[in-house]
Amino acid sequence: MKYVAIIRQVPDGESKIKVDGGKVSLEGATLILDQMDEYAVEQIIRLKEAAGGEAVVVAFGPERTEEAMRTALAMGADRGVLITAEGYVDPITQAAALAKVLAEEAPDVVFSGGQQADWDSQALGPAVAEALGWPSVTWTTAFELDGASAKATHDLDEGAEVVKVALPAIFTAQQGLNEPRYPTLPGIMKAKKKEIKKIDAAELGVSASKVEILEQQIMELERQGKIIDGSKEPAAAAAELIRLLHEEAKVL
Amino acid sequence: MALDFSLTDEQKQLQQLARRFAREQVAPVAAENDEKARVPWELVEQLYEIGLLNISVPEEAGGLGLGLVEEAIIGEELGWADMGFYTIPMASELGITPLLIAANDEQKKRFLKPLTERPSLASFALSEPGNGSDAAALRTRAVRDGDEYVITGTKMWISNGKEADFNVVFATFDPALRHKGVIAIVVENDREGVSFNKIHGKMGQRAAPTYEIIYDDVRVPLENRLGEEGAGFKIAMLTLDKTRIPVAAGSVGVARRALEESAKYSLEREAFGKPIADLQAIQFKLANMKIGLETARIYTYYAAWLADRGDPAHISASAVAKAYASEIAFEAANEAIQVLGGYGYVNDFPVEKLLRDVKLNQIYEGTNEIQRVIIARDILKALR
Repeated sequence: MKYVAIIRQVPDGESKIKVDGGKVSLEGATLILDQMDEYAVEQIIRLKEAAGGEAVVVAFGPERTEEAMRTALAMGADRGVLITAEGYVDPITQAAALAKVLAEEAPDVVFSGGQQADWDSQALGPAVAEALGWPSVTWTTAFELDGASAKATHDLDEGAEVVKVALPAIFTAQQGLNEPRYPTLPGIMKAKKKEIKKIDAAELGVSASKVEILEQQIMELERQGKIIDGSKEPAAAAAELIRLLHEEAKVL
Repeated sequence: MALDFSLTDEQKQLQQLARRFAREQVAPVAAENDEKARVPWELVEQLYEIGLLNISVPEEAGGLGLGLVEEAIIGEELGWADMGFYTIPMASELGITPLLIAANDEQKKRFLKPLTERPSLASFALSEPGNGSDAAALRTRAVRDGDEYVITGTKMWISNGKEADFNVVFATFDPALRHKGVIAIVVENDREGVSFNKIHGKMGQRAAPTYEIIYDDVRVPLENRLGEEGAGFKIAMLTLDKTRIPVAAGSVGVARRALEESAKYSLEREAFGKPIADLQAIQFKLANMKIGLETARIYTYYAAWLADRGDPAHISASAVAKAYASEIAFEAANEAIQVLGGYGYVNDFPVEKLLRDVKLNQIYEGTNEIQRVIIARDILKALR
């Protein structure tokens, strides 16, 4: 069997991100394999270890995505395919390119992170499934191969459901699916020799992004610091405080 | 154009791995391990799992055969998280290095290969209760008896010690010969007559185990001796010429932590209506820490690079790196406490531990006074 993890490279959560001229600047930020995608990589490595076959990582992103791909290879994936494109490309356009690579790779199981750490998008996995006409299971917390199908548990807003899906299918990973391993130093040394095939997005007939980002802003959190004067009528002030906690802050 | 300070792609990945492991696994438990003087074996096991333990074991003995640049990368990251914990893998490399220098192939397979097969440590036993800097004055005896040596004596301040599989013991077969009468011999810890006392009450580096080891008529086969009879002192010195580089690297990690904690706090703490980071008195402290950190780091990597190239200039360079890095780190930790004020003096914040830990970096693997003797000897040798 063949297993694929679709991965992305994102800024480390500890990095300070700046907006420069209306655009996010990643200058000086440490870039890592998206931690939600780590669950996907871990899952395909486990599948390969348990049942044999091949574990392949596939990505759509700028040239530098190769670093994140090397991390996945150092964890134990066999090889990588990187579709290169600089700048922002919307998930539907990305999915069209990824679908072409996946159609050629013909994997049985595809995993990807449930939500992207940088822009919180959850679109990529389902969009790739849509482009291929394959079923998709989001927010997967448990997974088991079952002949030509798979049994998976996925989170819903108010609970979970267990589904049986015909393969090939796409699953997006949720925290709890597994405990991703660290890459290892011998793995890092071996990863150097593993193949990463690079394909220019243009070669796959990907036209420009359907969405263009005009301006980016970082949410600023400010405390409102509302002070109720309790020095004159303490009883009224207390009543007002309770009203605000109840109606505005909604903590009571 | 030959100067090039960049790391290879693999070294960058190693750095990222070591940094992540240090941040996620080591730093969160550092204060607790320090307070309880607890040896974190589970971290040693994890270090083994990710391949960061005993990295210098050569490929022919089943290891990765990596050098001091790689060890320095790991040392900076683990030193940042907990210098006391880093001393455990660092002291294991100290126990491995005499074998890299003087062991034959059979000895490398016998002693080093097991270190790659499970989480396990090596250890180096040179100091004694009555001698440290004057290493040639050691009194542990190795009396030849047929095809065995009988080892008798006491070793002191031995990092890892009992926790290791073996100690490389330096002993004399003829004290009158001074340094020419020394042998280096691998003594497995499970031999009859070996006993250990754990040293308590350490000021810092309390996660690292330190032992007194007593050898009481311990019989060890000749095949355990490294190199020739009489070569032991030379082996010890060649070892320390290399292994004081990781001490420097750990110190760089401590200095980096001191600067990070100070800078972070100075932006959060307000005095006189503004963050203390706006006060020049604080800015100068941060800048001085940065000057020390950057110069110590680049020089430490330079010394490691020289040693990995086999350039004899590493002997003096490693002494410069060790003395300098441990001193700027001590100063940075001291100033970090000053920046944090009362908070810096209590163990709710990590900076007082930095000072307690890094004090040892000025003492072990050759005191900074001995480093200066080595540096001065190198200066004068060229002129005499």
